Amino acid sequence: MSVRHIWAVTRKEINHIFRDRSTLILVLFTPTLVLLLMAYALTVEIKHVPLAVLDYDQSQASRTFVRQITAGQDVDLYAYARDMDEITSLLMRGQVKAALVISSGFAADLQSMKGLPVQIIIDGTEPESGNFAVQHIAQSAEQFVNTALAGQLRSAGISAQSLQPLDMRIQTWFNPDLKPRNDIIPGLISMVLGFPALSVALTLAHEREHGTLEQLLATPISRTGLLLGKIIPYIGVGLLNVILIPALAIAWFHISFNGSFALFFGLSAIFLFAVLSMGMVVGVLMRTQAAALALSFLVIFFPGFFMTGIFFPLASMPEEMRLESLSLPGTHYAIITRGIFLPGVGMDVLWPYAVMLAVLGVAFTALAALFFRKKLG
Amino acid sequence: MFRRIWSLVVKEFIHLSNDWWLPAFMLIGGASELLLVGWGTSRPVQNLPLMVLDQNRSAASRQLIVSLENTGTFRTAQQVNDMASITAAMDRGQVTAAVVIPPDFSRQMDSASGQPGLFVILNGAESTPALAAQRALQGLASTIDERIVLRRLNLDSEQFSGFNPSLRVWFNENLSEALYTTPAELGLMLEFTVLLFAALAFSRERELGTLEQLLVMPFSSLEIMIGKAIPVVIVGFTDFLLMLAMIHFAFSVPVRGSLPLLLVLAFGYLLVELAKGMVISVISRTQHQAFLLVMLVGMTDFMFTGYAAPVEGMPPALQFFANFVPAHHWLEILRGILLKGTGLDVLWPHVLALMGLGLVIGIFSWRFVRRALD
Amino acid sequence: MDEKPCIVIHQLTRDFKKTRAVDGLDVSIPSGELFGLVGPDGAGKTTTLRLLAGLLDITEGEAEILGFDLRTQAEAIKPHVGYMAQQFSLYAELSVLENLRFFAELFDVPRADLAQRAARLLDFAGLSDFKERRAAHLSGGMQKKLALACTLVHQPEILLLDEPTTGVDPISRREFWDILTELHIQGVTILVSTPYMDEADRCSRVGLMFAGRLVRCDTPRRIRETLEGEMIEVQAADWQAAHKRIDGLPGVREVQTYGESLHILVDDGQKRLPEIERALQEANIDLRSIRVAPARMEEAFISLIRKMEAG
Repeated sequence: MSVRHIWAVTRKEINHIFRDRSTLILVLFTPTLVLLLMAYALTVEIKHVPLAVLDYDQSQASRTFVRQITAGQDVDLYAYARDMDEITSLLMRGQVKAALVISSGFAADLQSMKGLPVQIIIDGTEPESGNFAVQHIAQSAEQFVNTALAGQLRSAGISAQSLQPLDMRIQTWFNPDLKPRNDIIPGLISMVLGFPALSVALTLAHEREHGTLEQLLATPISRTGLLLGKIIPYIGVGLLNVILIPALAIAWFHISFNGSFALFFGLSAIFLFAVLSMGMVVGVLMRTQAAALALSFLVIFFPGFFMTGIFFPLASMPEEMRLESLSLPGTHYAIITRGIFLPGVGMDVLWPYAVMLAVLGVAFTALAALFFRKKLG
Repeated sequence: MFRRIWSLVVKEFIHLSNDWWLPAFMLIGGASELLLVGWGTSRPVQNLPLMVLDQNRSAASRQLIVSLENTGTFRTAQQVNDMASITAAMDRGQVTAAVVIPPDFSRQMDSASGQPGLFVILNGAESTPALAAQRALQGLASTIDERIVLRRLNLDSEQFSGFNPSLRVWFNENLSEALYTTPAELGLMLEFTVLLFAALAFSRERELGTLEQLLVMPFSSLEIMIGKAIPVVIVGFTDFLLMLAMIHFAFSVPVRGSLPLLLVLAFGYLLVELAKGMVISVISRTQHQAFLLVMLVGMTDFMFTGYAAPVEGMPPALQFFANFVPAHHWLEILRGILLKGTGLDVLWPHVLALMGLGLVIGIFSWRFVRRALD
Repeated sequence: MDEKPCIVIHQLTRDFKKTRAVDGLDVSIPSGELFGLVGPDGAGKTTTLRLLAGLLDITEGEAEILGFDLRTQAEAIKPHVGYMAQQFSLYAELSVLENLRFFAELFDVPRADLAQRAARLLDFAGLSDFKERRAAHLSGGMQKKLALACTLVHQPEILLLDEPTTGVDPISRREFWDILTELHIQGVTILVSTPYMDEADRCSRVGLMFAGRLVRCDTPRRIRETLEGEMIEVQAADWQAAHKRIDGLPGVREVQTYGESLHILVDDGQKRLPEIERALQEANIDLRSIRVAPARMEEAFISLIRKMEAG
């Protein structure tokens, strides 16, 4: 493998990338833009969930209850419904995401400590909002019951705490407010940093389509040399992103970065090697850019989104799928990224993932070199 | 004119059959990807790793551990002997939650006015499992509360219905995750497929220099546009049917509304995305560019489909903007017809919006293409 | 000229999915020969060149270049061969010099010699003034010359050129062949495929390919000579009528059309000319000119092809 050959191809690729201004800008900024957009989409805090109320009791107690629920910004009272038909209609139209039905014995049951006869109906097609409303209402119910029955309980000699005897204290580490953004954003960063793989998949097919590959194959350059020469510029682009994108994310979203940047940079380089060689395998297999695009979309982009544990925890995936996830560089890199951003761990914890990435990188490069023959057709 | 369009369509299909990977990927790849993703994401959050430090070692604490495992959210608890193990596991991201049961737990449980304590640590590094764990733990806590209260106050469990509201879920009784994730994923896959395919339509010819050949032929720009659009529509609609069938049979997603209506509206939506794709294909000089633009547009639209987060929670400006995203309306229509069984009477605002957007984008698209081709 | 064979091909065969593109090719090209490969489209010329350049796998048969076995040592041959593809695409966004330099690096041209060699080649190709220009902005002829320069940069002993002058203006074509002749004199072995008969005439030997087979392989003169008989050139106002009239006359072997003139292959020129003249006059076909002309490669070629097609 000749360094001179590799460098010649790298230089040519760099010229090719840089001289096409519009594509260059897109390549550099698409990861950033996608990060911003998705970060906004995914870290939107659920608020103002619209609620409809059907109050059969119409007592002071029920009205207080509703007021307590809708105070604050979490749940908004959309409307008082007159009957179940109206509730049905509101839910069908998606105008409310949850409905509260208060039975006619509400105040009475409460006084006699028989219970809290209310029913929550949620829109199962958007359970995020629904579940949030349920949690909020459950919490409000707890407080409401305590306040409403305070007098009664005192006279019976029961402290309010007796109704919730269990003292469960919850402490959240690394992300005290459990704000999704603190961990989802590092996950997103790990995802968008893999975007250059999509461009790598194209470069061989590009030469094929434009007819320049034939001449290239007639030269003494080795297969591995050619592939490496083509990957290196994108490693450069990737590393540039590794510096820019986290900086941007931290500045814009105010997330924390507790680990060592030098470590992050080093491990990112290994990740880039792995994910770009994956892109190269796709590029070697496909004859046209369109096919390479389609395949890389199916095999790199979509799985990178859904199967790397960024949005759907690996633990809840079926066993077979988890194995598949492990063969994606993105999965390991997501763990590394989250680890460095939040707990700020070091190599002692992350080394198995780094090793995995290196192994994947070598495996994919070998695969690509294996499938790539210096022959036409 | 139709004969000319037909000859163009034939030419496109010949191209396709030479490069049959592309539609094959779109169809088979799209459907199988959806299958895979649906399978992976349709499970509720479960099987989370849990650590327990039992400093009490009584029947009561063991009972508690069993209850924790029975929530279905956690897998079998791993028992440890000290805080250091918990700390190490947390750092390594090996555990989602850890529960410390204090030494006086059983005593407090048994006494008439005791306050049994539990110390829970959540791993905030992954918020999705952490939130699920939190929810499960709080649910368990109220169940335990109820049990204790019943015992202490000597209340009749028949009489006492608990101070927790009862829950009913509509449209998705089993709260099957698949029912709400797979339609959105279908929408996403469909959009990306159509956009990608359409975006390649002209950018490919432009990049390889074959566009000129097309221009010297006696086709009007409208005929060229239709000729290129037809294969995309055929592949896209077939893709939709395949994916719909798949989520219906594989994930039991019902079709509670009118299927014909759904098909018609799906077709309409396809046309809108097609127009968008066409615009991308004429403003891109290379396929690479077209691809990156599709990524950008697709991801932007994704934000407004409500898949990741409900649109209501977004700032008002963004909520307003959501109305201009075809995918937003399409997802409402899709969910409405599949899960809620709604019809045109409820969905008409979205249908109207889609038609309006389609018209505007379509006109733009035609203008753009015409300018590019003439 | 060195008589040692440089390229030896024995029963070379290449199959694609349904077709046999090259069928049992047998030829031996000595070092320093300028060998022309002609034939209609689809005859297998490009495939043959690609096989020799090591770009395609051999289905059957053997080939040896400079003693290297093409089946097992294809990569070892590449530094000695300069191959120019039919659609030699240069890198559009790179400049003339950058394109040249790229191939120089890939062919391990010693760094010390690079600058000088590049300058000389550009001069040779008449591109010195366009060093910095992007390849996309060159004319067709200049692109082909640059392609040739890139093929020559490592001073290969063998050149494999696939239709190097197709699509090039006549002046550039002549300049191109001047360069090739110069190289031939310097002792480079050249195997060039061409659709132009006048170019085939300039080669040491010509190989005619048809349906994957090498049908004729000889010096241009002898190929012309194989054309039995002589040629009469006729120019008539209504050449279609003349064609019909002349066809089938005694002694007429073949009638070929060239634009509006007819080239008639006859057994004896002097004898048949007045016969043809009379036949046309009797048919009231206006005759503009008629004369005996020397047969060219063109006619020999078309005649051979026709015979092949007839089976």
